[in-house]
Amino acid sequence: MSQHLIQVTDLKKHYNRGAIKALDGVSVNIDRGDVMVIIGPSGSGKSTFLRSLNLLEEPTGGSIMFDGIDITKKKTRNADGKLVKVDIDQHRQKMGMVFQHFNLFPHMTILDNMTLAPIQVKHMNRAAAEEKALNLLARVGLQDRAGAYPIQLSGGQKQRVAIVRALAMEPEVMLFDEPTSALDPEMVGEVLDVMKELAAEGMTMVVVTHEMGFAREVGNRVLFMADGKLLEEGTPEDIFTNPQHPRLQDFLSKVL
Amino acid sequence: MFTAAGFAKTWEYITLFKQGLICTVALSLLTVIFGFILALVLAVMRLSDIRPLRFLALTPDGHLREQGFLTLLSRFNPVSFLATVYVEIFRATPMLVQLFIIYYVVLGDVDFPSYKLFGFIRFDRFVPGVVALAMNSGAYLSEIIRAGIQSIDGGQTEAARSLGLSQVQNMRFIILPQAIKNILPPIANEFVTIIKESSICYTIGVQEIMYAVTSTKGATYRIAEPLVVATVVYFCLTFPTSKIIAYFERRMSVGDKRNGGDGKPKKARMKIRQASILRSQGGPEGFSFHAGGEKEE
Repeated sequence: MSQHLIQVTDLKKHYNRGAIKALDGVSVNIDRGDVMVIIGPSGSGKSTFLRSLNLLEEPTGGSIMFDGIDITKKKTRNADGKLVKVDIDQHRQKMGMVFQHFNLFPHMTILDNMTLAPIQVKHMNRAAAEEKALNLLARVGLQDRAGAYPIQLSGGQKQRVAIVRALAMEPEVMLFDEPTSALDPEMVGEVLDVMKELAAEGMTMVVVTHEMGFAREVGNRVLFMADGKLLEEGTPEDIFTNPQHPRLQDFLSKVL
Repeated sequence: MFTAAGFAKTWEYITLFKQGLICTVALSLLTVIFGFILALVLAVMRLSDIRPLRFLALTPDGHLREQGFLTLLSRFNPVSFLATVYVEIFRATPMLVQLFIIYYVVLGDVDFPSYKLFGFIRFDRFVPGVVALAMNSGAYLSEIIRAGIQSIDGGQTEAARSLGLSQVQNMRFIILPQAIKNILPPIANEFVTIIKESSICYTIGVQEIMYAVTSTKGATYRIAEPLVVATVVYFCLTFPTSKIIAYFERRMSVGDKRNGGDGKPKKARMKIRQASILRSQGGPEGFSFHAGGEKEE
């Protein structure tokens, strides 16, 4: 249908009959290989937007086309024109998500954290899933922690595990919800390095962050949001060296 | 009060106590199994999000109403309501009344086979006893399970769902294993309570330990010594039970932590433990699984 991987049209999330507009008509297209960084003051709707992409927040209006299917609808027409149910679990498999607070499963080892979804959802056999998990852990330098429990890891290590846990499902797009905001300053770098590597490999990424350096260096598109609206969009050069909107100018003067 | 002769006489009826012990254990085990299953169902019912009148909250143009009567109606969840009614009724009425209603009224006209479990436990008394105890403890256990499920950080569900796990898989692999760990102490408490409360079943003629006491009393005209024996037997049942569960609790607590690890201690768990201690001491309300009254005898 469309060329875009994700096509968001007029996305709205209203509370209290529109008295609170967390998202107020956001439209954006995300293409394969994009590294889209969303910045903005807190309460601007960045996280709500990101969480809407895999329906952790249910929008109250608008549409999200993912691989040509509107995932905000309960039902859709398939190739034969028949109405079929939209299986959100299936779409979520294709969208990896990394959270601010890691959300590793504390009762499982790192290896089990990583193999649970591939085994239960993708029905991989255990040996293959574990081999894949160990390879991924090796990529982030944590292969020797496979048998550890999340409580035994530092914050940076946890977030690296959370990233490869999402990667184990071979997603088409990775969503990052302030992945470094809960980390001690000295651990931010190790997580950003993993993300940079991922971007270099061509992974499609949507990143909500306060790390302006990362946005500038790694992002190929930067979105500025405020009050639930998408106020400005452009390349990192546009946004950081030549901001147009007064809100963006104001925001940058505070954070840079 | 106690005499050696009295104990000697009581000893002649020790078979009754042995049978009583077997009966009490069978009664408690079946109660905890059926009670737990019932409690799981009740807890899931109470946490469900089934709102058939949801559409009432929408204005004709499809927006959410701000507030008002229709919004209240739209939140009505019949499944959760039924479960709540059940739990509140069973927690607010005496166990003895529930037992009599089930034995004389609900199951009064049911013809049970004249089968005897282990050769001596009368089926027509035993089954109503299990049903009554399980229905009662199910109400209490469901509150414990509900609190345990709600104590798990919402981020866990979000992470599981974002990996593509279904709601059921999330419950099975992520939420319940962690919740069970949190609620083991209060469940152990409840199991011990069940063992003790099963004694009430002697009023409908279930041959458990208290039944042995009254039988021995009738035959020997001694009451103090049979009661001592019963006390010892009950203690030997409940004390190891709580110790065994405490052992499993320690073993399961490996890697335990809330919130995916921002350095917070086992707060949720301590809270739940406190609640169960408060309950057993009849302590103040507030954070209590059994808010709304102590368990009646």
